[in-house]
Amino acid sequence: MEYYLGISQTIGVHTLLGLSAYVLLLTGQLSLAQVGFFAIGSYVSGILTVIFGWHVLPALFVGALVAGVFAFLVGFPALRVKGLMLVVATIAFSEIVRLVFFNLNWRVEVNGLEVGPDSTQGFREIRYFAANGWEQAHVVLLIWLIVILVMVMLWWLDKVRAGAVLRAVGEDELAAQSSGINLTMVKVAAMTGGGVIAGIAGGLYAHSTTYVDHHTFSILLATFAVSYPILGGLKNVLGTLMAVIFIQGFIIEGLRFMGDYRNILFGLLIIVAMNFRPQGLVDGNFTSDVRKLLRMKQNGAGADA
Amino acid sequence: MNFDHIDVVQSLIDGVLFGSVYALLGLGFTLIFGAMHKLNMAYAASSIAGAYVGLATITIFAVPTVLAFVVGPLAAGVVGLLIYISCFQFMPRNNLLAPLMASIGALFFIDEVIIDQTAGSPITFPVLLPDAYFPVGEYGFRGDLLFIAFASFILMGVIVFMLYRTKMGLATRAASQQPVASLLCGIPTHRTNSTVFILAGVLGGFAGCLAAAAVGVLSPLLTLPLTVKGLIVTVIGGLGSIRGAIVAGFMIGALENLFLLFRGVNERDIYVFLVLFLFLVVRPNGLFGTSIDRD
Amino acid sequence: MGLAPMLRITGLAKYFGGVRAVDGLDIQIDKGEIFGLIGPNGSGKSTTVNLICGVFPQTSGTIELDNVDLGKMAPHQRIESGVSRTFQNIRLFGELTVWQNLWVAWRDAPGHETNWLVNWFGSPADRQHEIQKLLEFSGLGDHSDKPANSLSFGEQRQLELARAMASKPKLILLDEPAAGMNSEEVADLKERILTMKELGMTVLLVEHVMDLVMSVTDRITVLNFGKPIAEGTPVEIQNNEAVQEAYFGSAKNVEAGA
Repeated sequence: MEYYLGISQTIGVHTLLGLSAYVLLLTGQLSLAQVGFFAIGSYVSGILTVIFGWHVLPALFVGALVAGVFAFLVGFPALRVKGLMLVVATIAFSEIVRLVFFNLNWRVEVNGLEVGPDSTQGFREIRYFAANGWEQAHVVLLIWLIVILVMVMLWWLDKVRAGAVLRAVGEDELAAQSSGINLTMVKVAAMTGGGVIAGIAGGLYAHSTTYVDHHTFSILLATFAVSYPILGGLKNVLGTLMAVIFIQGFIIEGLRFMGDYRNILFGLLIIVAMNFRPQGLVDGNFTSDVRKLLRMKQNGAGADA
Repeated sequence: MNFDHIDVVQSLIDGVLFGSVYALLGLGFTLIFGAMHKLNMAYAASSIAGAYVGLATITIFAVPTVLAFVVGPLAAGVVGLLIYISCFQFMPRNNLLAPLMASIGALFFIDEVIIDQTAGSPITFPVLLPDAYFPVGEYGFRGDLLFIAFASFILMGVIVFMLYRTKMGLATRAASQQPVASLLCGIPTHRTNSTVFILAGVLGGFAGCLAAAAVGVLSPLLTLPLTVKGLIVTVIGGLGSIRGAIVAGFMIGALENLFLLFRGVNERDIYVFLVLFLFLVVRPNGLFGTSIDRD
Repeated sequence: MGLAPMLRITGLAKYFGGVRAVDGLDIQIDKGEIFGLIGPNGSGKSTTVNLICGVFPQTSGTIELDNVDLGKMAPHQRIESGVSRTFQNIRLFGELTVWQNLWVAWRDAPGHETNWLVNWFGSPADRQHEIQKLLEFSGLGDHSDKPANSLSFGEQRQLELARAMASKPKLILLDEPAAGMNSEEVADLKERILTMKELGMTVLLVEHVMDLVMSVTDRITVLNFGKPIAEGTPVEIQNNEAVQEAYFGSAKNVEAGA
């Protein structure tokens, strides 16, 4: 049981990470900064519960907020220029964040124990859940409540004009700009939203594993984050969820006996997938048909009124 | 802490000399970007892979070290071609994200294969010219670094000559500016593109060997920093500018050593990477970039 | 009479390196006018449209719309100030539905703006009626839920025109709207432009199809090598010798050859 709870924790956290990249991919931008925002979320919320003794929920909230602020600050200079530049800038950003936490030493005595980020040793003792009587099932429940909340919000976003604008920018920037859309504003907004989601994911991750260090926040994790929505397709949020279940549930957990070959397999999977399905593995035909059906009904009702 | 000007100047000298590795990598990224307007994220990984093959050759066959600098670049050229075929050749021309993503996949594929083969531990790379040191007044030039800079200059010269003085270079530049038109003119785009990937691969393999020789070890941990620094050099130089990539390479090498001197090895790269953001804010088109065209 | 022109372009120039794509252009378009901009290939017509929309900055000269200087504005601000455009090569949001294409570009008529919350996060129902009306006007009423890239070529052109109208512009720039159309579709387009004129819209028409330009425009400027070589009513332009030499002469030769 505990094993399955552990996997569902991982899948939940990675789904959030994937969704944070999904928002930005809608505008046609590929960001490898999600792992940087993830790291900021985990360190900030961890510091708040461990050193300042906050409740976990406000700590998660503030962690997400700080990650969002950083996303805004990075996005602004990086999104003014060409799309390829963003990839370079976001890799650099994620590495900067990783190295800052690699160097961060902030040890404080709390209740007779020395706790806090210990530079190269990482940040241990993020034990809010255990110390406050949360069972693992409760943690899983919290993670999935947040996953569902974020998915519903992104689903809703696709139903309002803002969602259509995000996709329009992803389709054709010149046409979008000629339709009166402020490209930089839209992209920075998507970046900020993605940063907030990645920040929550980071906070949840830190508290559910109780331990993070700079190895956690590698570019490999950033690649996982973008590969979920890319493999799952951008038709809707469920594609991302399915891709996470496939990669984390099957390739990483199911093929555990293959050891390190799984990472090689992951690299290979991306190459093969991009060659044969550059628009994503999960084809959108099925879901878009369903959507069309729903939209038709909606419009019918609108015309009657 | 106090640093006298001798330390500063000496670290600048070492940095500029080592910067030739970044200049080579930046040049390679730029060549590929120039040919296809796409980024090959697996480029530095192919360079390191080449260096590994070179190192393996001299270790297994007990041949002179110099041969590593022949076999390594050739192997990296082959890897470059394989990356072109697997990540670029069959992608739709106007899709930028798919080849980018595929080459990130290739980056991890290469990296993980190296980790698998070496059990993740660093291997010593034979030191070049261990005793050569040329003092000039209060300063000195390390022989291996001089060799690196000298070799890089020759290579860069060869590349620039090929681009601007040969028919192949002309075809490449034509294909980069007007891919459809040059196809119609009978320029085989795939062949020029794969030639560029092989050439850039050879260049990178050489840079990989030089870096390994200067650092003294070869490790999969080198891949990512080299990737990021190569990309930063490319962007700071002005995406697509050959001159810019070379100048920025030496600049980053020098800055890196200054940061090492002032802030130590753990913080060095933070500041190197921050230089990129400084440029994005102050000079988003880089040192020699043309103005942003949005199309 | 003494009314200021709606669009006033003075001394507009754009150099790409040594190439003078547009070189000293003056145009004044009055409200309610259909204004033609014609000239041989490469004479700078499309560059002019791109300059007005801010795709790239001009080298020199000024662009004013209702006495507001557009010259230094970001492209989206120019749309907000009241210009909009179509493209020579159709650029729709292909994966979005026909309806969504208009929704993205939608702006409320001046004086009837809703707040930004509704504007960004309102549901389709809030705009259903108005956007459907525009679709009907464009003859796309039955296609609203199709993806834009599934439309026929002529329908895509009409959708692009509808999208340009969705932002309630003071001035619409049509960049070769008849390119690739058959004669039936051109006749249809002619009707549509004349309807736009009846509705009081102001249009800058960049076009190659002479029949269309001559039958719908009020005034015409002829460009050659980036410079205006003639200005006047369609009849004046047709009788202008310089124009005939630069344009119709060659056009006639082409016709004769074909």
